[in-house]
Amino acid sequence: MILRILIADDDPLIRDVLRDVLDDEPDMEVVAVASDAREAAELAERHAPAVVVLDVRMPSGGGARAATDILQRAPGTRILAFSAYTDPGAVDEMRRAGVTVYLAKGVRNTELVAAVRQLGVQ
Amino acid sequence: MQPDAWRESDLFRLLVLGVRDYGIFMLDPGGHIVSWNAGAERIKGWSAEEIIGRHFSTFYPPEDVRSGKPEWELRVAKAEGALEDEGWRVRKDGTRFWANVIITALYGDDGELRGFGKVTRDMTERRRAEQQLTDRRRLLAHLVEAQERERQRIAWDVHDDTIQAMVAVDMRLQLLARKLPVEHRAAVEQLDGAVRSSISRLRNLVFRVRPPGIERQGLRDSLAAYLADTAMVAKIEYSLDREPGDDAAITIFRICQEALTNVRKHARASAVVVSLSTVDRGFLVRVVDDGVGISDLDPNSGHFGLIEMRERAEGSGGWCTVSAGPGGGTVVEFWLPDVRP
Repeated sequence: MILRILIADDDPLIRDVLRDVLDDEPDMEVVAVASDAREAAELAERHAPAVVVLDVRMPSGGGARAATDILQRAPGTRILAFSAYTDPGAVDEMRRAGVTVYLAKGVRNTELVAAVRQLGVQ
Repeated sequence: MQPDAWRESDLFRLLVLGVRDYGIFMLDPGGHIVSWNAGAERIKGWSAEEIIGRHFSTFYPPEDVRSGKPEWELRVAKAEGALEDEGWRVRKDGTRFWANVIITALYGDDGELRGFGKVTRDMTERRRAEQQLTDRRRLLAHLVEAQERERQRIAWDVHDDTIQAMVAVDMRLQLLARKLPVEHRAAVEQLDGAVRSSISRLRNLVFRVRPPGIERQGLRDSLAAYLADTAMVAKIEYSLDREPGDDAAITIFRICQEALTNVRKHARASAVVVSLSTVDRGFLVRVVDDGVGISDLDPNSGHFGLIEMRERAEGSGGWCTVSAGPGGGTVVEFWLPDVRP
């Protein structure tokens, strides 16, 4: 089964490379890419992806707001926060908003792919 | 009165008349001037002939005369024996000076009020010097604040922009390495390693320059948090009588940070003690490690932030010195004055 993924990040470089890294996996498909929190919630509702890879600091409400909206509008979705911020405050906020996994930007691609895959099969 | 006593009182009168640093003169019970000395003439500009017989409210600015301050001061001096005041007074030419004034009620043996003694000092210069000092402190506080703001901006820029871009490059390189034929893979992986180590150096930079959050958690906890983050075995001995103000706290933190960076990078120490105590109305801070000691440090080198530590301490009106510890290791010691009232 192909794992359907939504990417949300306001940094175009990160967005593009995330898409290429995940699309490169035979069992994954990036179905949509959002560049802010509002677009992330809209695209999640439309595509109902299995996993959202979500940035924490984003325009139009930020990652926590996006996570809450996504889970409301696409309840089956699981969210992986992918962030440059690793302070306890940011992590807590995302967990309270319903994020399952929190990964720091800078982890190896293999680690990220493994985390997304594991979320998808749960 | 004995003849000797006469001579003494005459001498004393001459002494008072000749004093030039203080204006010393007498008022009758109604506040009119009855005697005048050289100091009063120098400070206020009136000669004895011009001023004797006039009311002492002549020396007060119009706003004080209107509010009845001269009479009020005599009433207080009469009721309490004496009164001390600092404020503006007016010279003969209309210019103002900042005066320290002591008015003393003078009673005769019969308990009757004979008049008032008045001693006036011109404090204009001292007041100016004090104001310059205050200005300097304010400037310093602004400087520390501006420096911290600038650091925060740099930390944000590097964190949100430079590091993000390099993370994207790193991810791209990993992807590329997977797709390349084996013979080219090593070169890209080496490049990837270089990018990763740059990212880690930039993260260290962000960690060092970001604001330590003293306003939230206080100096002691900020230092403890910093030490915990750097995973150093360290002890903080904190015995300040009074928490330092914002700019002093930042300066203390930044100097400690510099000293601790040296310990981490060069000292090969197993433990470090940071002690803060109150000395001479200021903050004495010692960062003592048990490492390889000062012989390995070139004190003239700018590399170890020694110059920065000294500049920070001296800029705040204090000092900073680096020396060899008694049992080996290095001691960084600095003191900053507590400039608050």
